Amino acid sequence: MIIVMKPNSTAAEIGAVIARVQEFGASPHPIYGVERTVVAVVGETRYVDREVFLNMPGVEKIASISAPFKLASRESHPDDTVITINGVVVGGKEIVVMAGPCSVESRSQLLETAHAVKEAGAHILRGGAFKPRTSPYSFQGLGLKGLEILAEARECYGLAIVTEVMTPEAVPMVAEYADILQIGARNMQNYGLLHAVGRVQRPVLLKRGMMSSMEELLMSAEYILAGGNYRVMLCERGIRTFEKYTRNTFDLNAVPVLKQLSHLPVIADPSHGTGRWDAVPAMARAAIAAGADGLLIEVHPNPAEAISDGPQSLKPERFAALMRQLKRVAEAVDRSLSTVPA
Amino acid sequence: MIVIMKPGATPADIQRVIERVQSFGLGVHLSTGESRTIVGILGNTSGLNRSIFEAMEGVESAVRITRPYKVASREFKPFDTVIEVRGVRIGGPGLVVMAGPCSVESRAQILETAHAVKEAGAHILRGGAYKPRTSPYSFQGLGVEGLELLAEAREATGLPIVTEVMSPDEVPLVCEYADILQIGARNMQNYRLLQAVGQVQKPVLLKRGLSSTVEELLMSAEYILAGGNYQVILCERGIRTFETYTRNTLDINAIPVLKQLSHLPVIGDPSHGTGKWELVAPVARACVAAGADGLIIEVHPQPELAWSDGSQSLRPDRFAGLMRELAALAPVLGRTL
Repeated sequence: MIIVMKPNSTAAEIGAVIARVQEFGASPHPIYGVERTVVAVVGETRYVDREVFLNMPGVEKIASISAPFKLASRESHPDDTVITINGVVVGGKEIVVMAGPCSVESRSQLLETAHAVKEAGAHILRGGAFKPRTSPYSFQGLGLKGLEILAEARECYGLAIVTEVMTPEAVPMVAEYADILQIGARNMQNYGLLHAVGRVQRPVLLKRGMMSSMEELLMSAEYILAGGNYRVMLCERGIRTFEKYTRNTFDLNAVPVLKQLSHLPVIADPSHGTGRWDAVPAMARAAIAAGADGLLIEVHPNPAEAISDGPQSLKPERFAALMRQLKRVAEAVDRSLSTVPA
Repeated sequence: MIVIMKPGATPADIQRVIERVQSFGLGVHLSTGESRTIVGILGNTSGLNRSIFEAMEGVESAVRITRPYKVASREFKPFDTVIEVRGVRIGGPGLVVMAGPCSVESRAQILETAHAVKEAGAHILRGGAYKPRTSPYSFQGLGVEGLELLAEAREATGLPIVTEVMSPDEVPLVCEYADILQIGARNMQNYRLLQAVGQVQKPVLLKRGLSSTVEELLMSAEYILAGGNYQVILCERGIRTFETYTRNTLDINAIPVLKQLSHLPVIGDPSHGTGKWELVAPVARACVAAGADGLIIEVHPQPELAWSDGSQSLRPDRFAGLMRELAALAPVLGRTL
């Protein structure tokens, strides 16, 4: 349920409501909007007596959240969530582009890519140091050394870093280096991991599982929000279907659906969504036209030599050409991509 | 197999190649580009040796087509196919929007919708007279009466008509009225029907089956092309997946993939692809941004009273708003609307 406060309610009145929710054994999550504050009540809500709140000063009304995801729902939080990361605003008018290699392979590979994507107008650098690979014999990532290289690239180029964390124990270490913690598609329902990233104050990029429905994605976001970390970005990256020509079927229906059901920013990943570099530009444009707040794109200086995901990685010059197109598409749908050189 | 002529090949060189092909009892399809001509060979070419043609004057090379679909492939015809229907060009730089109700319900309903979509800038009127409904108890369409109403709406607005044909024996009748024959998703692999529409000289809008791959869609197009009807438009309308929040999962990946693999025009159907009217506009924009040559969109004057597909139909005012958005997006992609 949500307790909607009156537009002019005082901090003391809001504080009293929060304390009363806690007395009932439930978890209060105050959401401070532009006009008014709403207190979302989640957790054990069976014993919460609604009448009590209706009689408290500053309370306007009590409403139920019909969706099973509560804090993630737009009902509890009508305004878009905007997340600021090292000065980059995700979920606002500007389309945010996260680009870089699938894996951090070496210092020179990452620095070269970081330089190229920065020049082309990317806002955030991606790169995997811990890699969840299908085969246990495949390259598993450079680990801590990869994180150090990412941090060096951030120093050099001023790009914030998004990188994957695979286990709850690794969360504190990855959070020391990363600006955004990525939860990969295979870990979308790793609840121990979701709990762990819910307890740190680092933005999280949550990728949709390849066999997960949109509702399941929002329920996983709810795990993180319920832990007290409200900075979650949802990422559509393609689902598994009978179609094998593409690596996944990029479910762009999910972009407007998630924007409708939730207040969280929505990022799209055309690299995994298609698995083919030659389809990435068309689908990156499509994702923006569908209303995505940003993109996650794999770029490698030499895709033919990439240790992972070469077939879906763009060469830096192709990425730069794509960014120029995306700027025009963004403007046509009333968004911006201001970092792209004219 | 295709025979690629040199840029400077003369009409006589091309004619000799055509005659050589015909001497084997095979057919010919010519693709004439700005700089060169490609002679596509129709029929079973497994016994042909490439060197027969490569030794001829004006020939650059002869190449076997590796894909299982031949005439539908971009290897066979590298240039985009452009289909002209009563002055509307599908597959060129202009985006083509087909709009109208799911079913023709009444004279008033189809005329009102036709005027509204025409006013908003649509190029072609859609409307079903023969409806393949999941339940045998649901409204099955007005039949011939529906076709007559569509023809009247064409008279009144000048919009060409696209409407579905469900069985081979009805092809001649529907052809009398329709400008484009639609093969519905449920009939994508109804091979007798594909052969029947392959025999007529009317453009065909071929919808992808609910559980069909891109390759299977192209194989179905091949059935029509192999019959001699080269005017085929491919339509992505959503596939069945585990996601049930939307009616289907619109496979927008298929748009750039089909444009790459084939020369045929590709249309997106955001109405069936989402099943929810409030998702139609963003997904329609996405189709255009992905490179679709056009859209097919369900519009109904009163969606809440529609006999079919009301929940995915746009009201005329919302459709007009979407057309304005698309007009802003098209030039950015090098298209016009």
